[in-house]
Amino acid sequence: MTVRTYYTPESMQEALELKARHGFDLHVIAGGTLLMPQINDGLFFPELVMGLRNAGMDKLTLNDAGLSGRGILGATSTMSQMRAQTTYPILQEAAKGIGGWAVQNMATIGGNLFNQPPYGDFAVALLALGAQVKIQSASSERVVDLNEFLTGGRQMAANELVTEIHIPEQVAAGFITQTITGFKKFGPRAASAATIVSVAAQIDLAEDVIENSRIALGGADTTARRSPAAEAVLNNASTQDLESLAAAAARAAADSSEPISNATASAWYRRQMIEVQLKHLLGEMLESAVPAA
Amino acid sequence: MAAEIVSFMLNGRETVVVTNPLETLQSVLRDRLGYMATKSGCSQGGCGSCTVLVNGEPMVSCLLPAKDIEGQEVTTLEGLTKSGAGEIHPIQQAFYDNFAMQCGYCTPGMIMVSKALIDRAQRAGTHPTHDEIAEAISGNVCRCTGYQSIFEAISDASHRISGHEWSGGRDIGGKTK
Repeated sequence: MTVRTYYTPESMQEALELKARHGFDLHVIAGGTLLMPQINDGLFFPELVMGLRNAGMDKLTLNDAGLSGRGILGATSTMSQMRAQTTYPILQEAAKGIGGWAVQNMATIGGNLFNQPPYGDFAVALLALGAQVKIQSASSERVVDLNEFLTGGRQMAANELVTEIHIPEQVAAGFITQTITGFKKFGPRAASAATIVSVAAQIDLAEDVIENSRIALGGADTTARRSPAAEAVLNNASTQDLESLAAAAARAAADSSEPISNATASAWYRRQMIEVQLKHLLGEMLESAVPAA
Repeated sequence: MAAEIVSFMLNGRETVVVTNPLETLQSVLRDRLGYMATKSGCSQGGCGSCTVLVNGEPMVSCLLPAKDIEGQEVTTLEGLTKSGAGEIHPIQQAFYDNFAMQCGYCTPGMIMVSKALIDRAQRAGTHPTHDEIAEAISGNVCRCTGYQSIFEAISDASHRISGHEWSGGRDIGGKTK
């Protein structure tokens, strides 16, 4: 054990002050499910660690009317909290696939943003919702798009912490008749397993035309990210022939992916599975969409 | 390296312990306090054998810094038996009667999760269903028995605790009220 000091701040302010004082030397954990395994295995020897479990950063501001008003999720909210909320079914579904009960009581949504394929599936569901990340220091705050944050290498200053995740208000424009979301995780077994691929989508329908879509992929790259290629196929398309539409979007997502290769699955297999899983997800989502009256 | 003092309730008893910075609850229980029921498996949060209850909710003690549970209530398998009375808990008895273990290494974790699951079901006035048991123990790995006997033990235990007859086998679930 080489850890010199373990800080357990009891407020966000205290946490931000500690981060300002120690900068990148201070390693941050919340649930511990990402960093503690590495420390236990002797792969990582941090000297200064800060734990955010008791920093009170796990508040949820949800609008149970569902689609009006944005949602604010505290960064140290746990997967169990995500399963218990009902405003965002897609987040319930994503949280369900992360570890077992005990791990879900510990793992946090902010920590999940710093995991990498074959893990980090919660971020995939957040991407489909168009989430943003609030990053604070003791003296500043900024809000960045989650997709830019992830694909840009999670750029943060030495004194900053991820403090909140924002879910934007869903488009309430009159011509949008329905908004549907969906998430699928595909792994070697149903529970508590590394991910081969995960796919998530949000689709705004205006009658039978896709007004807007967000497609997010896990395992398709070195980080979870949106798939502009699949979105381009879907946006403004008619859902009349939903089978070929889903197939075309899934193909575009697979063709434009650069999957990782590891012991769980090869890049080749992941690319095949992105196509299969996204095709199934889109097919199920569009089929279940209530036909406009 | 400054030592830390952590005080918490362990199985209903006020406990104060001196730890290294970032020392895990698992290490505190086994190495400092001699509570050996909590097993050390993968140390990665992947096997569930070190599961304890923190304020009634399961957590893997191998990934939990002891300092994080300052002032909180921890229950280990030792806390389920009536101390001194030599009496084991109905869940333990049900695991024994249903042969729900072979090597026994996963058993403490399985029983702690079962305790949390049965407590939750009792509050709702039900017995856990097959699917609820499957989900509850999905983070607990058993490499000996196959899981069927564990399912049966948990269902049996839930019935025993509420004083109900259990018809056995795959008849799992049902209401307590």
